Amino acid sequence: MCYAGSGQGLLETTGVQAPPSSVLRIEIGQIPLELCSEDDQLLSAARDRYAGFRECGRPIWPVTVRAGKKVQPFGEGVQAEIVSSGPGFSFQLNGAWLRMGAAASEFDGVGSEYTLDSLLRVLLSMLLLPQRGFLLHAATVVRDGRASVFTGRSGAGKSTIASLSPTGSVLTDEISLLRFVDGQWYAYGTPFWGEFRAEGMNRRVPVAGIYRLVQSADGRAEPVAAREAMRLLLPNVLFFARTRQERQQLLEIIAHVAETAPVYRLHFRPDVSFWEVIAG
Amino acid sequence: MTETAPIRNPSAAWTTVDGDVVIISPEDSVLHELNATASFIWKQATGERTGRAIAEMLASEYEVAPETALTDTEELIAHLMGKNLLLAGPPAVEAQSDA
Repeated sequence: MCYAGSGQGLLETTGVQAPPSSVLRIEIGQIPLELCSEDDQLLSAARDRYAGFRECGRPIWPVTVRAGKKVQPFGEGVQAEIVSSGPGFSFQLNGAWLRMGAAASEFDGVGSEYTLDSLLRVLLSMLLLPQRGFLLHAATVVRDGRASVFTGRSGAGKSTIASLSPTGSVLTDEISLLRFVDGQWYAYGTPFWGEFRAEGMNRRVPVAGIYRLVQSADGRAEPVAAREAMRLLLPNVLFFARTRQERQQLLEIIAHVAETAPVYRLHFRPDVSFWEVIAG
Repeated sequence: MTETAPIRNPSAAWTTVDGDVVIISPEDSVLHELNATASFIWKQATGERTGRAIAEMLASEYEVAPETALTDTEELIAHLMGKNLLLAGPPAVEAQSDA
């Protein structure tokens, strides 16, 4: 039987007991999730995929995952829509469903780890809103203990940046997670990888700067004012909600990051010289 | 239009960035940015003041000719109503607030 609890009972009494085999606990951006599924193959694939993001603490957000027909994840030709928003948010992706309740979620019709991955991104984008966080199409690279976040949609150069960065320095090459914690912005590694297939690291690093990628013959980092920063960031934010309250939360989060984090338009050549530009 | 009290669409999310208003429209999630005077008008559009009253406040705040302020206010209100960001409010509200 699938373990459907949210931590009460099993964790309270043991604290160290391993979760049942039908449960996978992970943590992304300090959001602990408990995936519960009867599909051994799917859960096994998820264990491999999220190996660096396993979590042993108290699970706070249970997700029941039910298998279904195989469908492709986000990409060309994929049908995705928000069916309802607000309390009872639900999202449909090529026949797979995310249904979000007040304290738990259900994924139905999950045919592959890729669909699971896509639904997890949508779920996280919702769970992050009250935590002053958001997901951004961006590669994040750590240098000297500070995170440089390189944003842009497909083809902008995120994977190129990741491939030009030292081994072990890439927090993610596709989807970055930013949160405002204890008075500063942090970039978190995520397991959502792109072409470079950086598996991500489950750690957080203070943000040094956010760079909107512009491939160019010259190399320069052009600081932008807050309103321009909003213009550059918003199209790259993963956002699925539709209620006024959710839009308001996101708008205030993005306005805050635009006003408080250094944001640049980075004109760069696809070689390691971009680090000199940033350092300069 | 100047005798009705425009009111912000309650479905529109908005905030200020560097002192000026930015709005996300409810239907298409498009970002709209207002300049300083447009931001002033937006903030007064609470459904309690007519367009004419807002124009008078604008003229006083920015020390511009009343006719200019009225024209600018009318144009902006019409523009934002066209985008469904402002809604026409009842004219009676201002009569009460002015009383």
